[in-house]
Amino acid sequence: MEKEIEEHGFSFNRRRFLSSLSLGIGSAALGSLLMPDLWKGGGAGIEDSLAAGIPHYAPKAKRVIYLFQNGAPSQQELFDYKPKLRDLRGQEIPPSIMGNQRLTGMTANQSSFPLVDSFVGFKQYGQNGTWVSDLLPYTAKIVDELCIVKSMYTEAINHDPALTFLQTGSQQGNRPSMGSWLSYGLGNENKNLPNFTVLLSRGVGNGQGVYSKLWSNGFLDSVHQGVQFSSGEDPVLYLRDPEGLDRKERRDMLDQLSQLNDLSYQEFGDPEIASKIKQYEMAYRMQSAVPEVMDLSKESDDIIKLYGPDCLVPGTYAANCLLARKLSENGVRFVQLYHQGWDQHGNLPFEITKQAMDVDQASAALVTDLKQRGLLDETLVIWGGEFGRTSYTQGTLTADNYGRDHHPRCFTIWMAGGGIKPGMVYGETDELGYNIAQNPVHVHDFQATLLHQLGLNHEQLTYKHLGRRYRLTDISGHVVKDILS
Amino acid sequence: MNKKYRLLAEQILLAQLIFTSFIILFEKELVLPPWAQAAGRLHPLLLHFPIVLLLMAFLMAIFKPKDTTEFQSYYHRFQRSILCLAVGLSGITVLMGIFLAQEQGYQGELLFWHKWTGVAIYYFGTVLYFLNYWPLFRNKLQKGVSVLGVALLMMTGHFGASLTHGENFLLDPLTTGKEISTVPLDSALVFEHIIQPILQQKCVSCHNEDKVKGELMLTDLSSILKGGKSGKLFIPGNPQMSLLLERIHMPMEEKKHMPPSGKVQLTKAESRMLYHWVSTYGSSKAKVVDLPLSDSLRILAMAFLKPKAVEVDRFDFDEADPDLVKDLNSDYRTVAHLASDSPALTVNIYNKSQYTVKQIEELAPIAQQVVALNLNKLPIQDADLAAVAKLKNLRRLDLNFTDITASGLSHLQALGHLHTLSLSGTQLEIGPLEKQLAGLKALKQLTVWDTGLDVGALENLEKKFVAITFIKGFQDDGASPLQLNPIQVNNASMVFNDNLEVQLFHPIKGTEIRYSTDGSVPDSVTSDVYKTLVIDKNTFIKARAFKKGWYGSETSSFDFLKNTYIPDSVRLSYVLNRVHKAAGAHTFFDGKLGQIGANNPAWANYWAGVRDTDLELYAEFKKPVALSSVGVHYMVEEDTGIFPPDQIEVWGATQPGAWKILSRFQAPKTSKGETPSIRLVEGRFNTTKVAYLKIIAKPVYSIPSWSRRKGNKALLLVDEMFLN
Repeated sequence: MEKEIEEHGFSFNRRRFLSSLSLGIGSAALGSLLMPDLWKGGGAGIEDSLAAGIPHYAPKAKRVIYLFQNGAPSQQELFDYKPKLRDLRGQEIPPSIMGNQRLTGMTANQSSFPLVDSFVGFKQYGQNGTWVSDLLPYTAKIVDELCIVKSMYTEAINHDPALTFLQTGSQQGNRPSMGSWLSYGLGNENKNLPNFTVLLSRGVGNGQGVYSKLWSNGFLDSVHQGVQFSSGEDPVLYLRDPEGLDRKERRDMLDQLSQLNDLSYQEFGDPEIASKIKQYEMAYRMQSAVPEVMDLSKESDDIIKLYGPDCLVPGTYAANCLLARKLSENGVRFVQLYHQGWDQHGNLPFEITKQAMDVDQASAALVTDLKQRGLLDETLVIWGGEFGRTSYTQGTLTADNYGRDHHPRCFTIWMAGGGIKPGMVYGETDELGYNIAQNPVHVHDFQATLLHQLGLNHEQLTYKHLGRRYRLTDISGHVVKDILS
Repeated sequence: MNKKYRLLAEQILLAQLIFTSFIILFEKELVLPPWAQAAGRLHPLLLHFPIVLLLMAFLMAIFKPKDTTEFQSYYHRFQRSILCLAVGLSGITVLMGIFLAQEQGYQGELLFWHKWTGVAIYYFGTVLYFLNYWPLFRNKLQKGVSVLGVALLMMTGHFGASLTHGENFLLDPLTTGKEISTVPLDSALVFEHIIQPILQQKCVSCHNEDKVKGELMLTDLSSILKGGKSGKLFIPGNPQMSLLLERIHMPMEEKKHMPPSGKVQLTKAESRMLYHWVSTYGSSKAKVVDLPLSDSLRILAMAFLKPKAVEVDRFDFDEADPDLVKDLNSDYRTVAHLASDSPALTVNIYNKSQYTVKQIEELAPIAQQVVALNLNKLPIQDADLAAVAKLKNLRRLDLNFTDITASGLSHLQALGHLHTLSLSGTQLEIGPLEKQLAGLKALKQLTVWDTGLDVGALENLEKKFVAITFIKGFQDDGASPLQLNPIQVNNASMVFNDNLEVQLFHPIKGTEIRYSTDGSVPDSVTSDVYKTLVIDKNTFIKARAFKKGWYGSETSSFDFLKNTYIPDSVRLSYVLNRVHKAAGAHTFFDGKLGQIGANNPAWANYWAGVRDTDLELYAEFKKPVALSSVGVHYMVEEDTGIFPPDQIEVWGATQPGAWKILSRFQAPKTSKGETPSIRLVEGRFNTTKVAYLKIIAKPVYSIPSWSRRKGNKALLLVDEMFLN
C-alpha cells in the first residue's frame, strides 16, 4: 500500500505542478531584485558597471615607460647566451629544431641555414650570476633590478604586424594602443599633460618605420590618443600660440569656441565634439606645463653623467629616456619610446654594436634614476622589440660578418619596477636559442601581466564597439604570476 | 517525516531549484547589497552541514540493510529525509558560494571547478531525491549512483579547500621541509641563520647521523669541515676548488649532481649564498648586518631573511563622499581612488606656480581616506607638513625636490602607517634625520638621493635602521669618466657670402671648446680657446670639447666655405640623374651642403648627380663680376661607385658666345678602400671680368680596373659651387 501511495505522489497532477512552479517563479522574481540592470535592455554590459578611470584592484604600478626597440634586437647578441652555438657554428640547423616554421620572404629561398654564434662575449653579473652581453655594460650593472624574460613569443613574422600586435593586441591595426587602453582604464593623473605620449629616435642600424597608427586610440574616445613629442623647438606641434596672440586672448577665444561646440554637441550629440572641447582645454593647460617638462637645462651634472652626454642632444634615445623620466614623474601614465634601427638582416656585428651603444647607458640610467626618486616601485619600465632573430645566418656567413632574420618563436625583453620581481630570469630557450624550452610567454600574456600590474583585469577592461566587446588581449592571455613580486 | 511536511519540503526544494538556476543563469548581472555579501561570507561555515548530511545520505544508501522488515522502511524514510534536508542546505550553500564569488579575488581555474562541481552536486542531489519515487531506481541504481555522489562531494570539497587555504595546503608540510624560523634581522648570524637552514632543508635528510650517505654529515660546522668519502668539501676562500659547489653546479643529468634529481633542488639564490659563504668563509660567525653594505652575501641574506611579500595594505575606514572627492579634483590636484572597491584615495598635486598650502589643507574632510600623497617639486616648507600630518592613514609620501629639512619631518611622527617616504633632492642633515627616523616606526623605504648627505654617515644610518631600505641612487665618484659628445655648430649654413661669425656649441654647460684652423687636432693645453671667431675666407675648423671630470670629445671638423658671387640665373645643359635631382640648377648656390650616404634617398636631398653626361652649368650675371677662382664641392664613395670629377673646365665671357677658357683642372683621384668623404677642389686663375660663365665637370666614364665596378660609369655628385 505504501508503494502505491508513493507512486501516486510521484505522478504530479497539473494543478500541483503549476502551484509548485508558482512558488518557483516567485523565487526567480525575488532573485531579480539582486540584478538591477537585468531588465534595462541590451545596453547593459560590464563596462557600464565599471567606472572607467578607476583601477579594478589596488595597482602595483601607476605608470609605464615602454622602451620599444624597433626592428627586433637579436637576443643571441644581448641576453640569451648560447655557448652551444659556438661549437655548432657553420653547421646546418637540424630540421627537428626548425620544424615547419613560416619563414620570411628574405630567407625562405635560402638553400642553407648555417647556425651562427654571437660575435661578442657574455659575462655573469649580479647576485644571481645573470649572463649579459659585453655590448651592454651599463645594463649589466643594474641586472639585479631587472626581470629578464627570455621566453617571449609572438604570432607575426614581419615588423609591422608584429609591432601592431604588441601594441594593440591585433595584427591588423585599427584597435586602441596599449597606452590608450591604460588611459581609458586609469584616467589622468596630471590634468596638464596628456595621458599617453610618444617619443621617437633612430640609430644607425637598418631601420623600420613606425607609424602614428601605433599610438592610435582606435575605437576609444580620441582623448586617449597618444601625443607625439618631437625634438625640435616645438615639442608638441601647434601647441604654441600664434604670433601676436596672448594668453588672455587665447582664453577668451577658447571660451567662445567651447560655447559654439557646446551648441553643436547639443544639436548632434556626437561624443567626439565633447572630446574636442576637452582637448582644447588640455592643450591650453599644456601650454604652461610642457615647456617646464621639456626643459633639460636644470638637470644636474650627476644626471647628465648617469644618462650620458647625448641626453642633452634633442632627438637622441638618451634625451628621450631623460624626457620619459620627466614626463612619467609628472604623472603621464604611458610614455612610449621607439628607437629604430634594430633590423640586422646583414652586417649585424657592426650595426648591433652601434645600436647597443645608443641605448645601453640611457636605459640603465632611466631605471636607476626612477629608483633614486622613489618612483621605480610604481613605474613599470619595459625594454624589448617586436620579435627575436634566428639562430641561423641570413645571407653568407663569413669570418667576421653575418645577419639574422626575423624569428617569432622566442625573444627576450626585460622589465623593471612596477611590482615585477627584480633580479630574475624567467623562461628558457633551447640550447640553440631557437625554441622555448620553459615557461613560454605569449604577447597576450605579457599584455595581461602589464594591465594586472596597473590594477586592471584584462578580461574586464573592455569596450563595446560594432556589437561586441573588445579587449587588449582579445580572447586569451594569462597573467604571468611567477614574475610578480 | 509526516507526509504534509514532506510535500511542503518538496515544494520548497522545487522553488529553490528554480531560484538557484535563475541566479546561476544570470550570475553576471548580480549586484549584491551588503546583506547578501555578508550571507556570501557564511558560505565557508555553512558548507560543512550539507557535506556531512549528503555524505550520510549517500552512505546510508550504499550500506542499505538487506532485510525487508519494517526497519528497512523506517531506514529508507530516514535516509530520504536526510537527503531532503541535505539538498535544501546544499542549495543555500551554492547560492552563498555564488554571492561570495562576486567579491574581488575569486577567479581562475580552481574557482571554476569548485563552482561547477558544487552546482553539479546540488542538481545531482535534487534529482536523486525525486528519483526516490521510482522503485526501479530505489532498488537497483541507488547504490551505484550514491558512490558517484560521494566522489563528486570529495572533488568539490578539495577544490574549495584549495581555494580557501591555498593550493597544496594539505601536503605542504610533507613536501617542503620545516619553515625557517624567523630571526630578527639585526641578530642573524651568517652560518647559523643562513647557511645551516639551507643545508638543513635541502641536504640533511640524506647526510645526517642516521643516514650518512657518502660518509658525509652536514648537520654541524665541524662535520661539514671534515667532508666525506670523496674528500673535503671546500677550502675556505677558494670557491673554484670546492667539491660542494662542483656537485651543486653539475648538470642535472649527472649522477653525482646534488641534491639528486627527484629531490628538491637548491634555488639560485641559495647556491649563490653557498658560493659567497665558501669564498668568505671567515665570516661564518659574523652577524649579517655587520658585513659590508655592498657585500653580495649580505644583500642575498637580507632578502632571504626579510619577510617575503610586503603585506598588502588593508583599509578599514569608510568611503569618502563621492561628491566631495569630485569637488576636490582640480586642474592641479588629482584625487583618485586607489581601486574600484577601495575606500583609499591617492592625491597628486602639480604645478609649482599654482601651489599654496591650502591645497593640502583642503584635504581635511578626506583626511582619513588619503593613503598616498605626491608633493614632488612643490615649494613645500617644513610648516606645511603640519597639514600633511593630519592625513593619519598616509602610507606613502613623496617630497622630492621640496624645500623641507630633516627637522621638519617631526610633523610626520603622527603618521603611524607611513611606510614609504621619498626625500630625494632635498637638503638634509644627518643629525636631525637620525633623530626623526627613530620616530617613524612603520617606515620601510626611504629615498635619500641627492640630499647632500655624506656617504659614510648614511652607511651608519643604514646599519642603525635595518628595517628601512635606503635608496641612495647614483652619485658620480669620478672613477670612470665618460667621453664628451662632439661639438655642434649653430650656423644656419656653412656657406657664407662676405664674412661669418662661427657659432660653435656644446650641449653640456661649462665645457671649454678648443679649435684649430691648420688641420691639426686640438688639445686641451695649446690650442686656441673658442670665444668668438669671425672668418672671411674658406676655413677648415677642427674642434674638441673639454671639461673637468670628462674625457675630451672626438674631433669635429667643420668646413666653412666662401662664395662671393651668386649668379642671377643658372641652367643645366643636361638632365640630372633620376634620384639625384636636388634643386636642379639652383642646387649649387643654395648654401645647402649634403652628407655622406647619398645613395640612400633620404639623404640625397642636396646632391645633384650625373653619370651618363657631363655636368654642364651656364650662369649669367647682370653686372659683370671679377672672378679669380671656381670651387666644386663633391662626394667620394668608392665602394658605391661615387667618384670625383675626372676633369673640370671653367669658361668665361663678357659677351654671349665669346667663350674663353679660364681654367682646366683635375680633382685628386680616389683609390681602393678609401673611406667616403666630401671634398673641395678649386681652380684658380687671373682675376677676370665675366658676365657669362660655363662650368663643365666630367664624371669618370670608365671606372679603373682596381674597382669591382671596373669599366662602368661612375656617379658624380656635387652639392655646391663657389665663385670667388
